[in-house]
Amino acid sequence: MAQIVLDSVDKVFPGGVTAVDNLSLGINDGEFMVFVGPSGCGKSTALRMIAGLEDISRGAITIGERVVNDLPPKDRDIAMVFQNYALYPHMTVEQNLAFGLQLRKMPKSEIKRRVGEAAKMLGLEQYLGRKPAALSGGQRQRVAMGRAIVREPQAFLMDEPLSNLDAKLRVSMRASLAQLHERLGVTTVYVTHDQIEAMTLGDRVAVLREGKLQQVDTPQNLFDSPVNLFVAGFIGSPAMNFVEAELVREDGPAVAFAGQKLPVPEESITAKEGLDSYFGRRVIVGIRPSDFEDGTLADSGWARMSVTADVTEELGSEINVIFMIDAPPVEHKDTSDLAHDVADEEEAAIPLAGNQSIWTARVNARSRVRPGERINLAVDTRNLHFFDTDSGLAIGHPEAAQVAAAATAEA
Amino acid sequence: MRHGKYRFIVGFLVPPLLLYGIFVLSPYAQTFYIALTDWRGLSAELNFIGLENFAELVRDGAFWNALRHNGLLLVIVPAVTIALALFFASMLNLGGRRGGSAVQGVRGAEFYKVVYFFPQVLSIAVIAILWQFVYNPRSGLLNGVLDVLGLGFLRATWLGDPSLALWAVMAVLVWSGVGFYVVLFNAAIQAIPRDLFEAALLDGAGRLATFRRVTLPLLWDSVQVAFVYLGIIALDAFALVQIMTFGPGGPDDSTMVTGLYLYKNAFEYARFGYATAIGVAMFFLTLSLAVLTLRVTRRERVEY
Repeated sequence: MAQIVLDSVDKVFPGGVTAVDNLSLGINDGEFMVFVGPSGCGKSTALRMIAGLEDISRGAITIGERVVNDLPPKDRDIAMVFQNYALYPHMTVEQNLAFGLQLRKMPKSEIKRRVGEAAKMLGLEQYLGRKPAALSGGQRQRVAMGRAIVREPQAFLMDEPLSNLDAKLRVSMRASLAQLHERLGVTTVYVTHDQIEAMTLGDRVAVLREGKLQQVDTPQNLFDSPVNLFVAGFIGSPAMNFVEAELVREDGPAVAFAGQKLPVPEESITAKEGLDSYFGRRVIVGIRPSDFEDGTLADSGWARMSVTADVTEELGSEINVIFMIDAPPVEHKDTSDLAHDVADEEEAAIPLAGNQSIWTARVNARSRVRPGERINLAVDTRNLHFFDTDSGLAIGHPEAAQVAAAATAEA
Repeated sequence: MRHGKYRFIVGFLVPPLLLYGIFVLSPYAQTFYIALTDWRGLSAELNFIGLENFAELVRDGAFWNALRHNGLLLVIVPAVTIALALFFASMLNLGGRRGGSAVQGVRGAEFYKVVYFFPQVLSIAVIAILWQFVYNPRSGLLNGVLDVLGLGFLRATWLGDPSLALWAVMAVLVWSGVGFYVVLFNAAIQAIPRDLFEAALLDGAGRLATFRRVTLPLLWDSVQVAFVYLGIIALDAFALVQIMTFGPGGPDDSTMVTGLYLYKNAFEYARFGYATAIGVAMFFLTLSLAVLTLRVTRRERVEY
């Protein structure tokens, strides 16, 4: 087992495309680190550089105590699980599992023991004699995992290993992955574009965009205090609501937007260093859908806003209320990157209704809200997020200064 | 209407079957018959002599000599051609290790692919004449190059020396065949998912182990087909020998192949019946070779 350190790592492909840009990151021994980001953000490239499948253009990668830049993949003592499993189609499950051990000239009895153990752990015992073509997707996925496990490497590298499974299987495989990591305690780097996988599996999650590290932290911290608009919008589902608002001080601090005015608790202002200098200026306010509640069911101390529910998505345990805010959608590079990603992966974004923003509130399932009705929403204003309109950085976030410095260094 | 339908179907089936019967089946049938006669090809006069031609064939040293040469070609040409083609194809796709990705071809792979294919676009006659020049003992390229390299003691009369001539022919057969199989195997390798090779790399397989344990098993279907094709070429080799060698088939019958022996019997010795018997023997030999190759090399199909 080992820690993995990436020190100012760059990857520039022939042709000049920079896939990974000055990535510095420490992955602790035994940690489950998730790289997450929209497609093309360099997360897979970063993983492949750790594996040794791509050259490192600049910087250094250390696994354990060794700088591995010039080490071939087989000497890095890592095992990788591929998105398409990459099982050898002409070998049986047993041969697939044993292949890496045979090449390392391990004694036969030891190979047999390890293969047997892994097969037992993954429930593959009755399939050992089969070829991959005769296995289901989930079984192939487990064989791919087994091939990594038998090697007993210093680190596991996983490149979107669950993305080819159907939704239900993905959830159960996610749980087994978490269990497996618990049991083996091997340092794991896991790449995914699915933020739910990232949040549920990761000890820490690194959010990447265009090859640059945005923020790395525990899932809860990423959710609670995102460093910029991009992370704020990427982490969390449904996504955070944004609006450009004015920070004013009348009876007390408040944000005013689209005919709404939400009071801001005094302690939020003092907790976020530098926020007080924004009074009288415009800021981007972010509200998580989960920080809304139906007014009739909520804490009486929460601020209220009255809106018309356009669409309600009843999910059983809760209701997503989708409504319009009479303010133009926030236009910032961070949010447009996100919109672009959504448009790529799902069909297309909902057509924007004129100059209005679409917001989502997640309310209790007991709410009686119906489409087209007015609803009095309560907002937990202690959890408001404030972002600078130019830089898109969270105001008062301790890491914001570093990110800003990196951004200007780039320019 | 029913009647009309069958007439319609038959109307379409008859012409191709008729053509096939006249131009393919009937020559075969005639061949089998002529092989049992003493026809000399110059007149319509022929006598049925039973299996006498075949009995003579068995006793004919010249035939066995030619067959032995074909046997040698059969052992060496497919093996060498396939080995070279596999080597080139895997180097073109997987040989490179420097700069960029771990799994990629050697530098200039695209260029080599085109170059390897060049011999394939030349007709066999052109190739034969070309190599006659190369092998020319006095002004030929081969001896010239040996001189330049300081290897003058290796100079030889390549096509004039009975102990070398067949090997010289073999080299040309391999040279002209490799390109096609490089292209064939190249396509097969590209059909293998790239991450399999990456997985092998991470599993600790070097180039040789990757080739032996991953690439070759996955290319087996193509290799099998290549063996059959090259086997048939090795059993023929008529055109190249006929154009390139002295005699042709010389010197001293050292490059005589059955195809050429058949040709000589038919058109030089005017023994059509006997030549046809050779043809019939070759027909069965080639057929059994193809069946045998497919049988022996049969493995379970690989599914992805």
